[in-house]
Amino acid sequence: MPIFDQGYQHWSGRLSGHAWRWLAVTRHGVRAGLKNRFLRYLILAAWVPAIALVLVLCFWGLIERRSSLVSTLIQFLSFLQPGIITSPRDFRIDIWRLSYSYFLRSELWFSMIVIFLLGPGLISQDLRFNALPLYFSRPLRRIDYFLGKLGVIVAFLAMIMIVPSIVAYILGLAFSLDITIIRDTFGILLASIEYGLIVSLSAGLLMLALSALSRNSRYVALLWAAVWIVGGVVSLVLQSVDSEQRRYAYYSKITPPPVMARSDSPSRQERAAQMRAWRRARERANTEYRLGELEFSKRDWRPLVSYMADLSRIGQQLLATNETWEKLSRFEPDPQSRDRMLANYMGPEFPWYWSAAALIGLFGLSACILNRSVKSLDRLK
Amino acid sequence: MSQETSGQPGVLFQLEAVTKTYGAIRALDDLSVTVPPGAVGLLGPNGSGKTTLIRTLLGLIPVDSGSGQILGMDFRRRQLDIRREIGFAPEDECLFPRTDGVGFVAYAGELVGMSSKSAMQRAHEVLDYVGLGEARYRKVESYSTGMKQRLKLASTIVHDPKLLILDEPTNGMDPAGREEILHLAHDLAHNKGINLLFSSHLLPDVEAVCDYIVVLGAGKLLTQGYIQQLKQVHNRCFEVRLKSDGSLFAQRLAEFGYSTQCHEDLLLVQIPEGGSQQVIWRTAAEQNLQIRYLRPQRSTLEQVFLNALEHG
Repeated sequence: MPIFDQGYQHWSGRLSGHAWRWLAVTRHGVRAGLKNRFLRYLILAAWVPAIALVLVLCFWGLIERRSSLVSTLIQFLSFLQPGIITSPRDFRIDIWRLSYSYFLRSELWFSMIVIFLLGPGLISQDLRFNALPLYFSRPLRRIDYFLGKLGVIVAFLAMIMIVPSIVAYILGLAFSLDITIIRDTFGILLASIEYGLIVSLSAGLLMLALSALSRNSRYVALLWAAVWIVGGVVSLVLQSVDSEQRRYAYYSKITPPPVMARSDSPSRQERAAQMRAWRRARERANTEYRLGELEFSKRDWRPLVSYMADLSRIGQQLLATNETWEKLSRFEPDPQSRDRMLANYMGPEFPWYWSAAALIGLFGLSACILNRSVKSLDRLK
Repeated sequence: MSQETSGQPGVLFQLEAVTKTYGAIRALDDLSVTVPPGAVGLLGPNGSGKTTLIRTLLGLIPVDSGSGQILGMDFRRRQLDIRREIGFAPEDECLFPRTDGVGFVAYAGELVGMSSKSAMQRAHEVLDYVGLGEARYRKVESYSTGMKQRLKLASTIVHDPKLLILDEPTNGMDPAGREEILHLAHDLAHNKGINLLFSSHLLPDVEAVCDYIVVLGAGKLLTQGYIQQLKQVHNRCFEVRLKSDGSLFAQRLAEFGYSTQCHEDLLLVQIPEGGSQQVIWRTAAEQNLQIRYLRPQRSTLEQVFLNALEHG
C-alpha cells in the first residue's frame, strides 16, 4: 500500500480534439524507439554525412566570398576544372545539387537500416499482444492508428534526412552571406525535403504492411531484408547477366596484337606502338561500352526490381543530378574524358515515372494489406 | 460539454427499435431499452447480443435500423465523442506491448486526448487506487492475470469517464483477484459516481456490484429492472431455520397440507390456500422446537434470470 493513498479523485482537465489523436500514437512510438540503444547510435552515425554536407556547403560559401579562411585550401581543389574555381558562384547550384545528392544517397542506406530496427514491431507487436481492442475502443479511428504508426517512421527518417537537410541549408546560407543563394538553391532544399517525405511515406507504409502480416517481429524483419536486399541483389544479377553479354560483344571486336615467333616479331618500337594502339582501342571501347550502357539504361526495366533503385531514381530526378553532370562534363577539354566522366558519374536514365509507378503500386499494395490485416473492433472477435 | 452530454435526466442510455444483423443472424432484434444511471448489470446467455449491444453503444458498429442515445449523444453520429466519455475494458487479455504499468495507463489517457503531463500524473493516481502502485514500473508482460485486469481497469478510468463498461472483468481470475475487481467496480459505481455497465455471466458478481439489470436473449430484451424489485417477495413461501432437527416438524406441517423442502440449513415451507404463518409457530411450539429464523422467501437473481429466459 502506498504511504499516502488518496483514493480515487475525479479529473477535471480538458481533453484535446480528435484531429491530432494520431499524434499520441506517434509520440508513444518515438519514445519507445528512442529507448533502443542501437537505434540511437545509428541515428548518430547517420548524422556524419550530414556533417559532411554542412562542411561542403559552408566551404563553398566561403570560396564564393573568397574568404581568407579557405584561400590556402583552394590548392587542394585542383581536381576541379579551373573555371569552377575561378567563378564558384556560377557553379553554386551544381555543387549544392551534387552535395545534396551524395548526402541523400548515403542517408537512403541509413533509412533502410533505421526502418529495419524500428519498424518490425510497430504493428506485429500490437497483433501479438492483442492491443487493437485497446486502441479502437478509444476515440481513435483506424486511419488515426495508421497515421500514428506511420508518423513514428516518418519522425525517425525526418531526423536523418529532412532535419539535416534544412540545418545544412541554413548553415550554407549563413556562410555564403549572399541573398541570391535563396533564389538559386531553394528548389534544392524543397527537392530534398520532398525526397525525404517520399522515402518516409513509401518505406514507412511498406514496413507497416509487412509488420501487419505477422505477429512475430523477427519474421517481419526478414521480410523487410528480403524486399530491401534480396530485391537489390536480384536486380543486380539481372542487370549483370544482360550487361556481360553486351560487354563481351564490345570487347570481342578488339583484337589484341598477335603473338608471333621471336624471328618474325617486329622491332621493339613497332611492338610498343601496336600495344599503345591496342590500349587506346580498348579504352575507347570501354568508354563506348559504358556510354552504350547509359543509352541502354534509358529503356532497361531491370533496376525496377530493386526498391532502393526505385527510390534512388526518384531522388536523382528531383535533384536533377544527371543534368548537373552533363553540364560539368562540358568543361572537360577532350571529348573522350567528357564521355568518361558521363559514363562514370551519371546515374541510370530509365524513365523516372517507371520508378514512380512501381512505388505507387507498392504503396497501394501496402494500403490493401493494412486494410485487410488490421481490422476495426467491429470485425475483431 | 457537460450540457451536451448530459442527455435526458435519469437516462444512461436509450435505444429505440435497434436491429443489427450479421448475415442471417439477428444479433439485436428490434431492441428498445431505456436504462437509468447507476450500476447496471448486463446479463444474457452466450449469443444473446450483449457484446453487440456494447459495441453499438460505443459506436463501433453500424446498426441496420433504429436510433438511440448514450449519455445524451446519438450513437450513430457521435461515436468518437461517446468513446471519449466512456471507459471500456474488453473481455480478452490485451496489452500495449513493451510498456511499464504507468506508461501503459498514461498512454491510454493520451489516446483519449489527455496531455502527456496530465496523463502521467493521473496514471500514478489511478494505479495507486487499483492497488498497482508498487508494480507501476514493471513491464506489463510480467503482470499476473489479476494485475492485468486491474491495469486494464486503471487504463479505463484514467480520464475519469462518465460511463465505465466492463466486459466479463472477472473471467479467469482467482477468488482473491475477483474480490478485488468486484470491490473496485462497486466502489467506482457507488461511491465515486461513475455509471457502470457490467457485463458478466456470473450472477453473484453482477449481484455484488449492480443495482439494476438488463437481461437479453436472442437480441431481445427479456427483462430489466432494479434487482431488489425483481427479486420478488413470496408471501406464501417462508424460510425457516430451527435450532434442532426439523424432520418431525416437517412431517407435522405436511399433515396440515404445508409442503416443505430442505435447502441447506433452511426449511422452505409453502403455505397452502387458506393457510397461515401462525401454523408454523404453533407447530414449533407443540414440538417444543425453537425457531431461530423465519422470513418470507425472495427469488434469487438466478431464479430471476432463469425465469426471464424461460418466458423469453
